[in-house]
Amino acid sequence: MSENRTYKIHFLPNDTFVEIEEGNTVLDAAHKASIYVNSICGGDGVCGKCKVILSKGTADAPPTSLISGEEAEKDYVLACEAKIVEDLQILIPQETRLEGKKILYDQNEQHSLTWAAAVNKAEFKHNPLVKKIFLTMEAPTMDDTVADHDRLCQAIMMDQGVELNTIQTSITIVKKLPEILRQGNWSVTATLARRGPVLEVVEVQAGDTSKSNFGIAIDIGTTTVVTCLMDLGSSKVVDSEAIYNSQMKFGEDYIQRIIYAIQNSALDEMQRSIVSDINKSVLALVERQGVELKNITSVVCAGNTAMIHFLLCLDPENIRKEPYLPTANVISPFRASQIGIEINPRGILYALPSVGAYVGADLTSGAAAIRLDKEEFPCLFIDIGTNGEIVLGNRDWMVCCSASAGPAFEGSGVLHGMRASEGAVEIIHITKDYEVSYTTIGNVKPKGVCGSGLLDCIAELLRRGIIDRSGKFQKDIKSGRLRKKEDEYEFVLIEKSETGIDSDIVITQADIANLVRSKGAIYAAISILIESMGLSVDDLHCIYLAGGFGNYLNVRNAITIGMLPDLPTSRIQFVGNTSLVGAKMASISEEAFETVHKIASQMTYFDLMGNPKYMEGFMSANFLPHTNLNEFPSVAEELSN
Amino acid sequence: MQIASVEEKWAGVVKEVTIGATKEEGGTREKVVTIGGAKCIPFMDFDGNQGNRPVIAMDVYDVPPEDWSEPLLKNYRDVVNDAAGWAKKCVEEYGADLICLKLDGTHPDKGNKSSDDAVKTVKSVLEAVKVPLIIWGCENDEKDNEVLPKVSEAAAGERCLLGGATQENYKTITAVCLADGHNLITQAPVDINIGKQVNILVTDLGFPLDRIVMFQTTGALGYGIEYCYSIHERGRIAALSGDGQMATPVICDVGHEAWRAKEAKATDEEAPQWGSFAERGIMWETITATTLLQSGVDIIRMYHPQAVSIVKDHIDQLSGKGS
Repeated sequence: MSENRTYKIHFLPNDTFVEIEEGNTVLDAAHKASIYVNSICGGDGVCGKCKVILSKGTADAPPTSLISGEEAEKDYVLACEAKIVEDLQILIPQETRLEGKKILYDQNEQHSLTWAAAVNKAEFKHNPLVKKIFLTMEAPTMDDTVADHDRLCQAIMMDQGVELNTIQTSITIVKKLPEILRQGNWSVTATLARRGPVLEVVEVQAGDTSKSNFGIAIDIGTTTVVTCLMDLGSSKVVDSEAIYNSQMKFGEDYIQRIIYAIQNSALDEMQRSIVSDINKSVLALVERQGVELKNITSVVCAGNTAMIHFLLCLDPENIRKEPYLPTANVISPFRASQIGIEINPRGILYALPSVGAYVGADLTSGAAAIRLDKEEFPCLFIDIGTNGEIVLGNRDWMVCCSASAGPAFEGSGVLHGMRASEGAVEIIHITKDYEVSYTTIGNVKPKGVCGSGLLDCIAELLRRGIIDRSGKFQKDIKSGRLRKKEDEYEFVLIEKSETGIDSDIVITQADIANLVRSKGAIYAAISILIESMGLSVDDLHCIYLAGGFGNYLNVRNAITIGMLPDLPTSRIQFVGNTSLVGAKMASISEEAFETVHKIASQMTYFDLMGNPKYMEGFMSANFLPHTNLNEFPSVAEELSN
Repeated sequence: MQIASVEEKWAGVVKEVTIGATKEEGGTREKVVTIGGAKCIPFMDFDGNQGNRPVIAMDVYDVPPEDWSEPLLKNYRDVVNDAAGWAKKCVEEYGADLICLKLDGTHPDKGNKSSDDAVKTVKSVLEAVKVPLIIWGCENDEKDNEVLPKVSEAAAGERCLLGGATQENYKTITAVCLADGHNLITQAPVDINIGKQVNILVTDLGFPLDRIVMFQTTGALGYGIEYCYSIHERGRIAALSGDGQMATPVICDVGHEAWRAKEAKATDEEAPQWGSFAERGIMWETITATTLLQSGVDIIRMYHPQAVSIVKDHIDQLSGKGS
């Protein structure tokens, strides 16, 4: 544990306090406090969107042209640059709070934990899986008669500090070598790809092209495919693109898709579908950023086991049949063009490893991204996607399970649920008089409610007594917002006149039941995992919560509804889409890639379906916050007030 | 040689609930019934205080029962149209500890009697007998919410046991029981969690836990009794282990469930190999009741006078008071 001093930061107008160690930035503190602060560049100090006002105290902030003289007089600083050296009071101006006009495809870039902060924390050595190195060799003479290929290999060996016998070059490249080496006057750029113990010479170009090396990191979600363009030289995220997984037409969840693939012999078709999604996203990115396809040399994919099977055209049938086996958990790197992905034709695809049928590369990738493997004390890492996958562990051991939580918190199966994109309501407050205030992603007219908003909604409905602890609407409350429509009760969150769709935005009794079931499944799985290791909730050092909830997640509300154990909120951190973060880290660091593999091989899978206690735990968690209120002392106190 | 003690000590105790109120207490009952209070599992008196003895409530309907088989019906043929007379017969001739008045006739599909009719019936039964009364709605939420408040008001002060509050419909009945000083039945579909959850929901409304009796829908012999048994048993063990929300007495519905089994209904011609039709139903009801007694129940609702008599005797014997 670090001995650094900690300081108290008071954020206004939220009136939220957070304690943070010396040397962190104000933006880090805001993230820690789960406060929305605009930031397009993700903390690189270039976008100037994260201006805040130091209303008490001073911070260590370098001068910047992004703050005008007038602003400087009013104590404006860039949150991402201002280092904390004492207790502060920070006022977040309106424009910094809600100006996000851009569609927030990549939450991590913006909010929960910035890319810069995540990379910093992870401490992986920068060393991309595919790198371009500029080599200058001595020209051969009568006294120096080393063959062209040997000369290149020796230069690589010297540069990279690797054994000569680990370097491999395909015959296609060797054939072109004499011309290229001489064309470049013995100065060339070699593209090297890590393939296990082997370093493959993928390409050799005349001259220095080492600055143009890009990679693609992808999170293949069952619903959403997020693709990031990475500058492999600088480790920066250049741009990102999110689209719906077009395999949706084959089935909403992956079990349906596996059945479809088998019954219709449609595995090829499903592979084409995801490959086409990836190609479209990559094309959009390169066009937007003016990058040449040939300079994209690697693709790193994270995703659940079934999604990786579809991408690679592997037989997925046994995933859903006892004893639930994937065709493969670990896949050796291969050329992306082999499955039709359009980048540099010799570029390499790295699929991250899974643990089993229901614990996929999304989880191993995420666990690496948050460095679960470095934690001294037991931590819980929860990724709430379609399944709700959970890892408990530390640097010595890890156990994991899958909770079958369903996609309700991704907005699926909820009437006005939607994924976290522009127009999604992400924060909801309900007053004692049943009035609703909300915040929408992109500050546009609301179209629906994303995971974080749904979570707020249940917690607020409960707090205000609009629903009881079983989640049922209380029909006797005096509010026109609660109404009966076609035999079902619903609560109007936002009236049609304010929405960006042609109807009111409501939450129905069935929606609530779905969300309560979903959180119940997660909590039951957490309890069993903790119990099975002989631990108690208090033994948890920290809970990392990941998933496509939105940019902001009210951790307290996650406790109030009984999704997460009753721990102090300071020990719970919302970390966004960690599957993607892990893929991004792997693309820029061999060490990260190896860590994902190490974690995958370390994890012990715990089958909940075969555990008689799971159903029991689920039934008692199917209540707000839980049937056993003594597991939630702080909620008991909150509700009794 | 000294034999090691096998006594078990429990941390929790089942709460006592008193049904019925005497004149001094604001009612008109001559006898009140207190149930619960167990500090050990049933009939293990060497472990500690078993609390109050289980009691038998006999069912009375506000409409003549349909498809009752002859061995059962013959005991009630003269009173099926008169709830007050029926109740009187159960108490005076058959020894019922309590009367459970089922207001089935108020159900929209079973006669749709008005709440005024129901009030009249309740008043007539209260007048006819001096034992405590259980009043059970027709289990149609809408109709119960209309009828039970009126009935509750009419019986205010009598400290009846009213039922049942379910997860879907508990607010109205809880509110009226609270207002009129009655006890409340919380009902769950043979599910220990939902049972506890309904208790939480009604106590969240301010209803005291020591006025609640839990009902896990009963399964008769051959019709799910094992499941029902294990839910009762787990509930009781949870209560004794200190789970306050489960520490309420339990009621079960044996008569109705046993007598709708085909074994209780099939005549000698239909099932000659099953033994005497005249005795089969009685035994079915008796075995269901005596089995559930072991699982930890405090009130048994029953139908047949002979089964009642056997079960009472059985309780006496198990309690060490028998002949």
